[in-house]
Amino acid sequence: MSRPLPLLIGLAAAAVLTIVLCTFTGPAGFGFVSSAPGAADIVGGIRLPRVLAAFFVGASLAVAGAAMQALFRNPMADPYILGTSSGGALGASLAIVFLGGFFVPIFAWIGAVLAILIVWSIAARRGVVSVETLLLTGIAVSFFFSAVVSFLIAIAGQNVHQIIFWLMGGFWNASATDVMVSAGLLVPAGILLFIMGRDLNALSLGEETAAHLGIDAAKARWTVLGGSTLLVAGAVSIAGSIGFVGLVTPHIVRMLFGPDNRVAIPACILAGGILLVVSDTLARTFFSDLPVGIITAFIGAPFFIWLIYQRGTVV
Amino acid sequence: MTGTMLSAGNLRAGYDVNEIVKSVSCSFAAGTFTGIIGPNGSGKTTLLKAFSRVLPSSGILELEGKAVLDYTPAELGRALGFVPQDEDRPFPYTVLQVVLMARYARTSRFAALAPTDYDRCRRALEEAGIDHLKDRSIRALSGGEWQRVLIARALAQDTRVLLLDEPTSHLDLAHQADVLSLMQDLARKGATVIGVFHDLNLASLYCNRLLMIRDGSLVADGTPAEVLTPGRIREVYGADVVTACHPATGRTFLMPLPTRNQPAETEQPLRVLVISGGGSGADLLRFLAGRGYNLEAGILATTDTDYTTAKALSLPCIPVLPFSQIPAHALEKLRGMAAQADRIVLSAHPVGAGNLPVLAVLREAGPVKTIIHLPEGRDIASYDFARGAAAAAVSDLCAAGAACTGTYEGILSFLDRPAPTPKE
Repeated sequence: MSRPLPLLIGLAAAAVLTIVLCTFTGPAGFGFVSSAPGAADIVGGIRLPRVLAAFFVGASLAVAGAAMQALFRNPMADPYILGTSSGGALGASLAIVFLGGFFVPIFAWIGAVLAILIVWSIAARRGVVSVETLLLTGIAVSFFFSAVVSFLIAIAGQNVHQIIFWLMGGFWNASATDVMVSAGLLVPAGILLFIMGRDLNALSLGEETAAHLGIDAAKARWTVLGGSTLLVAGAVSIAGSIGFVGLVTPHIVRMLFGPDNRVAIPACILAGGILLVVSDTLARTFFSDLPVGIITAFIGAPFFIWLIYQRGTVV
Repeated sequence: MTGTMLSAGNLRAGYDVNEIVKSVSCSFAAGTFTGIIGPNGSGKTTLLKAFSRVLPSSGILELEGKAVLDYTPAELGRALGFVPQDEDRPFPYTVLQVVLMARYARTSRFAALAPTDYDRCRRALEEAGIDHLKDRSIRALSGGEWQRVLIARALAQDTRVLLLDEPTSHLDLAHQADVLSLMQDLARKGATVIGVFHDLNLASLYCNRLLMIRDGSLVADGTPAEVLTPGRIREVYGADVVTACHPATGRTFLMPLPTRNQPAETEQPLRVLVISGGGSGADLLRFLAGRGYNLEAGILATTDTDYTTAKALSLPCIPVLPFSQIPAHALEKLRGMAAQADRIVLSAHPVGAGNLPVLAVLREAGPVKTIIHLPEGRDIASYDFARGAAAAAVSDLCAAGAACTGTYEGILSFLDRPAPTPKE
């Protein structure tokens, strides 16, 4: 917290560098100076949208994860905690099984938002909502949706492969539209969460504390949940459910920058983006385009464990 | 003292359908330090949280003449500070970061905190005695240190009203005194301080006024001396205490009495008269008090330790002037008490010509219901300052059926024995 600005500027520079380097990296070779036929198409038409989509999705997941951890006062919370990923998976699976793969992103988005709305309305039925009620309702709804997805997998026949790959998450079909959608969600929602930084700080000590410090705790809670939901639903509709980025990036950021959300939120946007772009580049370059969710956990988990080992503590 | 800061009328509050606070009406003036006391689960914390609006309430609740509901969250954060009993700390903020949150209500979210905000927070850390901890992670603090961080944060809010929910529950003796003196100072400077207390002595020592609640309703409101009476404590807390005015502080203080061998509610308590003097009965009176007897003391000189003890235990007795003949009306009164008593305990004490008539009263009232306590190893003659007349009177009592014991246990077993039948 002492000097967050230079650290943030350094992180932003690293993000730009990562985007540039990864755009010119791929199985077709380095393309900095390549004048081979098709090089421009590959770099500009395939790699750039994919890199940018990965950046925005990673940023969305990380910032939503940080917001959820503060809101739920629980370092183990992740952006999918209220059922977004299982809702998205259900929507996507339905589209794959019954519509032959058309409208998968739209169905995934609808499923994700629907899941949250169901959780909210169940938890809010008695008037006063506690975060504990939201958390448990989210877990219950997630399990139910996951059961339905498993059922769909069981009856899916030849579509099983498609569903499973969707579940693992990836950027195989990233398009310019995906970039626009993810950026279009990240910019306003990211700014919103950034200016809610101090509300998140107060909320992370408890809703009553936040209220006693002069914060409209209920409004702040719904704003944070709303913004995060848009981000996560967008991310899920574009890339499926990619795990780990949303859970671990906020921890890494807090270890480096401290827990003040006014710094942690922008840092998560940059760090989450970098983490997912690097993972996706590794996936498509060295691992014959494996689902990126495997890679994020594969490199993220050891890094996280190393950090814990170094510091002896997580929070 | 100026006008009313906070006032509640028919305030009701609770959780879900469970109404904890039932129609409380009270108001708090600027420059006062009020303690809210009451047994566990009586609704003290609920009332405090209703005041701060984190629990919904119905009824009237006004802060400086304006309904609390009409305040914006930030306005309320500038007007009213709250120190909770404890707070979750899942993230490793530094102490200073947590205290700086006090200034959120006074700063735009788009502006950085000003140097004056930092100065105010540093001063609050000093006032709470934790400036040396300012860069520590809050997760590394002890319970007492964390409680002082929460107090510093409320101080840094610079509010006119301060609500404290057992602000000293995790603090040691010295820090309790520091924190409560600080609150007293704030009240003297014009703040309205309202605290929930478990420790009645602390509340009595520092508050100008106490509100006692039971089952969500106000049962007493007044100065500590008015509120903290043994009768009310017994009624509200179900505990026996003795109260006194502390000679050093001038405040009422109280001591719990051990409650042992309480008889069944329906049973008529045994009426026991203890005859003592010269400090011989003080220990015995304390021993018998709180054991469920209807205890009385006899004729006691007002300078006698036995008299002080009897008064402290709120026992009836017959006070007389020291070093003088026992007046006839006192003896008459004693005669009445002795006749009414189920058992009489005569604690061995110096007997001279002055108090010799007391033994005659006992002889009259019924030696069979009398037990004489003569400490082991002591000779009855050593108490006789009436040239043998006292020893003779005691021998006479024994001959007429009085029991004799050297131990308190002996007294207890005598008291617990079925009623003796008078010998003819």
